[in-house]
Amino acid sequence: MKYKSHKIALNFFTFAVLLFLVQVIVGVVAAIQFLKPDFFVFAFNISRTLHINALVVWLLCGLMGATYYVVPEESECELWSIPLAQFQFWATVVAVLGVVVGYIVMGLFPQSNIMIFGTLLLNEGREYIEAPRWADFLIAISAVLFLINNAMTMFKSKKWTGIQGTLLGGMLFLTLMYLPGMFYSSSMVKDQYWWWWVVHLWVEGAWEVIAGALLAFMLMKLTNAPRQALEKWMYIEVALVLFTGILGIGHHYYWIGTPSYWLWVGGIFSSLEPIPLLVMVWDALRITKDTRVNTNKLGLFLATAHAIFNFLGAGLWGVIHTLPSVNKWTHGTQITTAHGHLAFYGAYVLLIIAMVYISVPSMRGVKDYNMSRGYRSFWWQTVSMVMIVFTITGAGMVQTYMERLLGIDYVAVKNDFNSWFWIWRIIFGVTYLIGVLMFVVDYFKIGKEPVTVNAAAAAISESKA
Amino acid sequence: MGNKGVRNMFVFGSLLCFVALVVMTFDTFAQLDSRSTKITADVDKGKQVWHKYDCIGCHTIFGNGSYFAPDMTKITDKLPKSYLKKYLVNPRKVNASAAMPVLGITDDEAEKLFVFLEWISKVDTNGWPPKPIMSKGSSSAAVYEKYSCSSCHLINGIGGTSGPDITHVASRHPEAEWHRKHLDNPSSVVPDSAMPPYAQLTEDEKKQLIEFLVSLK
Repeated sequence: MKYKSHKIALNFFTFAVLLFLVQVIVGVVAAIQFLKPDFFVFAFNISRTLHINALVVWLLCGLMGATYYVVPEESECELWSIPLAQFQFWATVVAVLGVVVGYIVMGLFPQSNIMIFGTLLLNEGREYIEAPRWADFLIAISAVLFLINNAMTMFKSKKWTGIQGTLLGGMLFLTLMYLPGMFYSSSMVKDQYWWWWVVHLWVEGAWEVIAGALLAFMLMKLTNAPRQALEKWMYIEVALVLFTGILGIGHHYYWIGTPSYWLWVGGIFSSLEPIPLLVMVWDALRITKDTRVNTNKLGLFLATAHAIFNFLGAGLWGVIHTLPSVNKWTHGTQITTAHGHLAFYGAYVLLIIAMVYISVPSMRGVKDYNMSRGYRSFWWQTVSMVMIVFTITGAGMVQTYMERLLGIDYVAVKNDFNSWFWIWRIIFGVTYLIGVLMFVVDYFKIGKEPVTVNAAAAAISESKA
Repeated sequence: MGNKGVRNMFVFGSLLCFVALVVMTFDTFAQLDSRSTKITADVDKGKQVWHKYDCIGCHTIFGNGSYFAPDMTKITDKLPKSYLKKYLVNPRKVNASAAMPVLGITDDEAEKLFVFLEWISKVDTNGWPPKPIMSKGSSSAAVYEKYSCSSCHLINGIGGTSGPDITHVASRHPEAEWHRKHLDNPSSVVPDSAMPPYAQLTEDEKKQLIEFLVSLK
């Protein structure tokens, strides 16, 4: 290990990988509940809450792990304070486990979510930010400690690279945008207005900025592309992300009780949101093609796959229903679920997996590692996710037509006409889980298994295929 | 442009976009109160019940939520209070095959939740959710079917082309009175109209048909 600080990065990655497994297991449970609501010990709302919260938290931990890897590499020194980083890690783990236990208790005893000091004890009842207020404070403190530690490292080293500056800027934006979700409003319209600041400005703002910075870092690490050119394109990409993304929030303000000018603002800006994602794809493909120097083929393969699926999931699957004239009919249907799944997979799941395969071998002190399981895991996950997205898109189209156009009852459409889609989703959910299990096993074995000739040859031939 | 210039464009351009968002937020908040009825103490209590039971974990409201159970935005327009209250307290008693579990919602909580949902239904949502335009269930569309209006007129691409496309007829003629005159004697409002007068419509049918026509915006 080049830097002791990288131990913290590995800790965060390990926690993230385990939560990823939990997320997918409860996802399969939730998929089964579409057909059999009483299948599990708690109702759908709890499995769904666990599914999306585990997602957000493991991605956040993955991003923190990635940052703890990148900052010492870029600053070429240890973190400002390793004990503080260790404390931040363990405090995060304790807070997250506390919240999870709370959700499970509420699932078993719905009456246990009592009001204490004006806030709910176990679950705030707001999608994605269900974590109760006491946990909000702990999460905010954890994020601030994380920011201070990394910023001080940069101050100490005085190496102001564009990549780590953008990465930290993205993390600062992310932390600030958690705050609008931390107060109560008696108006559901205002509640959702601020709630979207958190959710939208995270996933279509701060997180994409972080993704842009990490993409530039990965390409630089894996190829001999010059830093200056990479950083220039990174700035262009993240600038376009925020120019389109900040006001693109308008596509969430079409139908929640906000004035109608949001139809124009949201329609125009969110239609442009795929452009930076397309530039990222072009950037990744161009650099992969132009440069030949790299030993970590799987890492480069995953970084490029991330760029492509970021565009397909977040860009294409989003833009198809972002115009108000279309969204009026599709809003609140399974089309949104399909977009959500492919967007999170492409933009962030693959990003963290790519960062794992790029950073973990070097943190474990190896140059070559066995890549074949990594490739297999990627294909199991990707094919399964694409099929999940097709099945839910199909369900969404049927729902839009039957419920929105023909006026057939929601429950009738869900139970009588969409059952096959739910069945296929369970099947592909299980195959996705197999892909994740391979990844989890591989994560613990990267760099620890001998690189066999056969495995290396298989990896090369698979990458060619 | 050098890297510094691009970086400055990124930083200051993003800040400018954010300022625009803040300005629009102020403007939006100045308008919100006039876009619904007043929030009473009971509406607020009902909202807290909504959060307590994590209703959003299955349902959607304003179309946002979990897509597992029906949207609640206009639910009080569709279902009577007595039904909703009974259902909230014990869904399985009302419908044995209901997916919703018995959560232990009290009578008082159900009452407050209803008041909250009634407030939600009054919010001006820019016309969402839209009326199902191809529904055959509504009596107003039934009159349209009965008199085979679609042999001459198009709605969303379905029908004949002898008469004008009426997909958005209410945008051109929003007033019910215009449609009444038109049905009684088309050429009185549209000179040279080839459409015959529909004197055979009963008064009830005429009302339903007009209601349907003015909904085509």
